[in-house]
Amino acid sequence: MITDDELCRKVIEVLAQEFELDPEEMVPEATLYDDLGLDSLDAVDMVVVLEKTFGMKVTDEAALRSIRTVDDLMQFVIRLRAEQSRA
Amino acid sequence: MKTDVVVIGSGISGLTAATLLALAGKDVVIVERRNLFGGSIRRFKRNGVGFDVGFHYTGCLGDGEILDLLWKRCGVRDRVEVDPVFPDGYDQYEFFGGNTVVRGYFSYARVGEELKSCFPGEKAGIDSYLREIRDVCSQVPFYNPDLPLAPFLRGYKSRPRPLASFLDSVTTDPELRSVLAAPAFLYGVPLNQCSLETHALVAHGYYSGAYTVKGGGQTVVDGFLAALEKAGAKLLSSSKAVSIRVDGDRVAGVEIEDGKCIACSDVIFSGHPSSVPGMVPDSVFRPAYRKRLLTLKNSLSMFAVFGTAEKDFRVQANGLNYYLLPEGGEMLSADDSTPPALRSMMIASTGGEWPEFKPSLRNGIIILRPGFWEDVKAFAVSRPGNRAAGYEKFKAEVGAEMVETAEKRWGHFTGRIEPFAVGTPLTFRDELAAPGGCVYGAMHCLDQFTPDVRTRLPGLYLAGQSTLMTGVVGASIGGMTAAGEIVGLEPFWESLRSWC
Repeated sequence: MITDDELCRKVIEVLAQEFELDPEEMVPEATLYDDLGLDSLDAVDMVVVLEKTFGMKVTDEAALRSIRTVDDLMQFVIRLRAEQSRA
Repeated sequence: MKTDVVVIGSGISGLTAATLLALAGKDVVIVERRNLFGGSIRRFKRNGVGFDVGFHYTGCLGDGEILDLLWKRCGVRDRVEVDPVFPDGYDQYEFFGGNTVVRGYFSYARVGEELKSCFPGEKAGIDSYLREIRDVCSQVPFYNPDLPLAPFLRGYKSRPRPLASFLDSVTTDPELRSVLAAPAFLYGVPLNQCSLETHALVAHGYYSGAYTVKGGGQTVVDGFLAALEKAGAKLLSSSKAVSIRVDGDRVAGVEIEDGKCIACSDVIFSGHPSSVPGMVPDSVFRPAYRKRLLTLKNSLSMFAVFGTAEKDFRVQANGLNYYLLPEGGEMLSADDSTPPALRSMMIASTGGEWPEFKPSLRNGIIILRPGFWEDVKAFAVSRPGNRAAGYEKFKAEVGAEMVETAEKRWGHFTGRIEPFAVGTPLTFRDELAAPGGCVYGAMHCLDQFTPDVRTRLPGLYLAGQSTLMTGVVGASIGGMTAAGEIVGLEPFWESLRSWC
């Protein structure tokens, strides 16, 4: 299994490509909505991309809703992978 | 040409959206690729008999229900004659080789009684099934117009629950399970992919009452056309939209195949969303969204036999649709590995004669059976009038087998059946511009998010069955929502609710 750091790099790479974002701007403290220009319509696509690319199932809506920054998203993905690889 | 809104497609979704917008004071133009308006609710005529493909009966036409509200607001309700089917109307379910006959009444109370009398050991399960369907729908504004619309459309939705495991929790009886899952025929999803939420939206309409319209879907189309004309909307037939013009970051117009361009600031696309990425510049959508539209999984298709029955179906039989279900099996097979002859089947009267023919002489019937794109894939590279070799033979064989099965099962009230025409997934693909011949748009199922009505391109909205819900009601709701997004969702919803 790849390390958390590798996972985060992969998430950045995939999101940059799928949402036409500049990886340079995707620093941990960057907010998805204000800084990166994503909007509520992109949220569904984000879930689809994460599920397809990493084979995980995004079910925790409360956690998903609380994601504001790139770092929040990384922590979310790391936690999800840990939970689902245990299951 | 210049207008406020171009609506692409003239099925019930496009007609609803266009009428609502025209009545809200917008200049509207509908563009339709075919020479006739109405999409899949339009009637077609063969040998003097009118056939409804996509409209047999519908729910939600009771006083104050969503379709009633929309048709009243659009000025269509007074132009059509609606017949409620209850209290005694039903669909009938039978099984291959079995003796069980269950009537699916269009009423919660009656269907509950019937199920309990057919499956006396399953009373608790039946109650909890019906309760759950109602509970789910009580939270949905389309079924409970007192609720605001925007929070429902914009809010995060819980992931759908699998219908199969819910049914497992209410019953172990395979026949009851099949009957409870049967409304899946009305949204085209095999049970292993059904979500309880989608099922509830369709089943609730079904258990709340059914309505037929005199003259079938064509009367509804004609009603809308008259309402649109009165409201000053323009309708262009034989006008295929080929691209959507974008200026800066907003919709600027629609280009038609013949080279015409209609300048506008908003566009509603009511066809299958997979056509949209090819109509806009690549830079408009993010790759993730573009890919999602292009790879949408689609609802099932159908095989259809259109013909006449020797006896008058409506005099001989009290039910509307008669379903034949595989023994202990499911209404919709999981994939094409189940041979057509072992799949479910449905027969219905087409609901009326073409005016110039006496009803007693022409008893139009339609027989439907689930179809998969894989069934006809071998003939995919062909167009109407120029089908690949072997297709006619294949089609005739499937049709003959359906007629034979129908006569064996329902011959006591149909007499001999004479087929006029057979449709396959290929027919549906070409007639309805539906990828894979899907009859209910993109599949509303587990593991798929169907696209929102809004898109990231300002001024471009989606409608049709692929967005919110399937069927006549679902497509109408999609059209209504698209119109609402253009004029302001919540005030629009409030004015609609207060209309009657």
